[in-house]
Amino acid sequence: MERQSLPFTIFIHIAALVLAIVILAPVVWLFVMSISSTPDLVAKPLHWWPDTVDLSRYGVLLSSVANSAGEAFVASLFNSLKVAGMATVAALAVAIPSAWAVSRTPSVGWSLYAVIATYMLPPVALAVPLYMTLAWFGLLNNIFGLALVYLTILAPFTTWLLKSGFDSIPREIESAAVMDGARLDQILRLITLPLAAPVMATAALFAFLLAWDEFFYALLFTSDQRAKTLTVAIADLAGGRVSDYGLIATAGVLAALPPLLIGLFMQRALISGLTSGGVKG
Amino acid sequence: MSALELIDIRKRYGSVETLKGIDLSLADGEFLVLLGSSGCGKSTLLNIIAGLAEATDGDVRIGDRSVTGVHPKDRDIAMVFQSYALYPNMSVARNIGFGLEMRKVAEAERIAAVEKTAKILQIENLLARKPSELSGGQRQRVAIGRALVRDPQIFLFDEPLSNLDAKLRMEMRTELKRLHQMLGTTIVYVTHDQIEAMTLATRIAVMRDGQIEQLAAPDEIYNRPATRYVASFVGSPPMNMLDCTFADGLAHIDGTLSNIALPAHLHEVAAAAHHITVGIRPESLTLADASNTKFGIDAKIEVVELTGPELVVTATIGKQRLTVSLPPRSQVSVGTTQRFAIDVSALHVFDRATDKRI
Repeated sequence: MERQSLPFTIFIHIAALVLAIVILAPVVWLFVMSISSTPDLVAKPLHWWPDTVDLSRYGVLLSSVANSAGEAFVASLFNSLKVAGMATVAALAVAIPSAWAVSRTPSVGWSLYAVIATYMLPPVALAVPLYMTLAWFGLLNNIFGLALVYLTILAPFTTWLLKSGFDSIPREIESAAVMDGARLDQILRLITLPLAAPVMATAALFAFLLAWDEFFYALLFTSDQRAKTLTVAIADLAGGRVSDYGLIATAGVLAALPPLLIGLFMQRALISGLTSGGVKG
Repeated sequence: MSALELIDIRKRYGSVETLKGIDLSLADGEFLVLLGSSGCGKSTLLNIIAGLAEATDGDVRIGDRSVTGVHPKDRDIAMVFQSYALYPNMSVARNIGFGLEMRKVAEAERIAAVEKTAKILQIENLLARKPSELSGGQRQRVAIGRALVRDPQIFLFDEPLSNLDAKLRMEMRTELKRLHQMLGTTIVYVTHDQIEAMTLATRIAVMRDGQIEQLAAPDEIYNRPATRYVASFVGSPPMNMLDCTFADGLAHIDGTLSNIALPAHLHEVAAAAHHITVGIRPESLTLADASNTKFGIDAKIEVVELTGPELVVTATIGKQRLTVSLPPRSQVSVGTTQRFAIDVSALHVFDRATDKRI
């Protein structure tokens, strides 16, 4: 690809630009909506760019006044953080040993397919049994209950992801460690897990996002500020008689921030190619 | 005392038997090469010695102690893997010292041992680097160092040079030979490269289909191959195998009117076999001149390749192929029929029914 004709170069750049616009336009519009005043948003024809920048909605949503929209929003923000965080940690705790076991014992690989098969069921099919189970354990409208439900979604997915990560770590490295006298826990702690760090970070990030964005189960299994998550809180803003589109957009922007920060923070861990050099090539 | 003893080792995977009864005994300080093409079971055998796999049947004894069921770390062995299998997240020094670290050797002692090993392998200046910052040959040295530092009773090498380029492979081969001469340790070495086997081994076990075809010193493997397989596996270019029928003291080459006079002591057994294969090393054929035209065979020259030190001639005799290594300045031309003289003392005769040497 050292030599490219000029039209081709232009074509590549235009294609990249179109892709960027398609991806970024909704996000930009979300942000523009969040800082537009209500008259700007309902005007006909639509004002694409607000006459005045209105940041008041951020204040509304982040206020801590009792019984305000802000209080509900902030509570749901923390619920989401707790639920997604707990579910992610639990999913990794379950997935790391099982993924390693499946990766190193190909003869039990079918079991992973069996678990993945549960993904084929639509969530709505599981909603009633899950609801009844949670009710039985008294875990409805409870962040632990919701985290438990999310664990059932995240664990198969993270196991699958980690298995392919472990697969890429040559078994010979572990064999070498066995001959060097390392115990199983030492092999995992000193060699396999450090080498799998990038894929574990990836799995954790995707698991967190999946739990963060989940709406269906959260809507069904939570009912008030003690357990409602962000997605449900945003939906609540759209309910009622009057919908403030600007407020919904603001909530959307705020909801996108924590995953974004986590993604930036984990960028270092996501660097791949950590395994290079141990074996040939 | 034998350093390693294998007694009737068998390995089955389901109904497939990959090792069909391996017996061998290795004296202290020997360099044994397990030689064979891929799938012959040589790596499986090495893994069984290492303890990474368990034999279905049979016993492994290291230093007169049965190690069947003993964990690899307690077998007093060290292994160098084909892929090097270095720990990518650790420095070279920690890679080499990892075995001692796991065995809870005191740090000062460990550092001293690592430095001593690094000195032997001439990698002292690399100790702080990560494996990814090393070249292939350097990684290989680190992998050897990791085995060396523990001073085990037996070293196991699993095709250690197959990932290196040709020039480096030769260097490391010499290096390994030097190490073996210097340290005098017992080594079991797996390879499919007959040159490595010939140059390194004190004894070679040629393996095929889970069995040892021949276990002997390199010189004997080359000069007195026990079977047709061994004969064709060792040597480059490979030995010529001419299908012949024996009658009246002569091996008549099938499909031609040519024949080869066999030495008298072979007549009786060759007559009993009747259908035989005559093996001739390419280098034991020479251009026939006036003085030795009598004991020769005529072949049609098809391809002539100059490799530098020798001229490799591919010819056909009847429908069979004949490869001849000649001095580089020999006068031969493609398309002509040429008479080649045979060194009768260098003939190898095999029974075609059993493929065994007669």
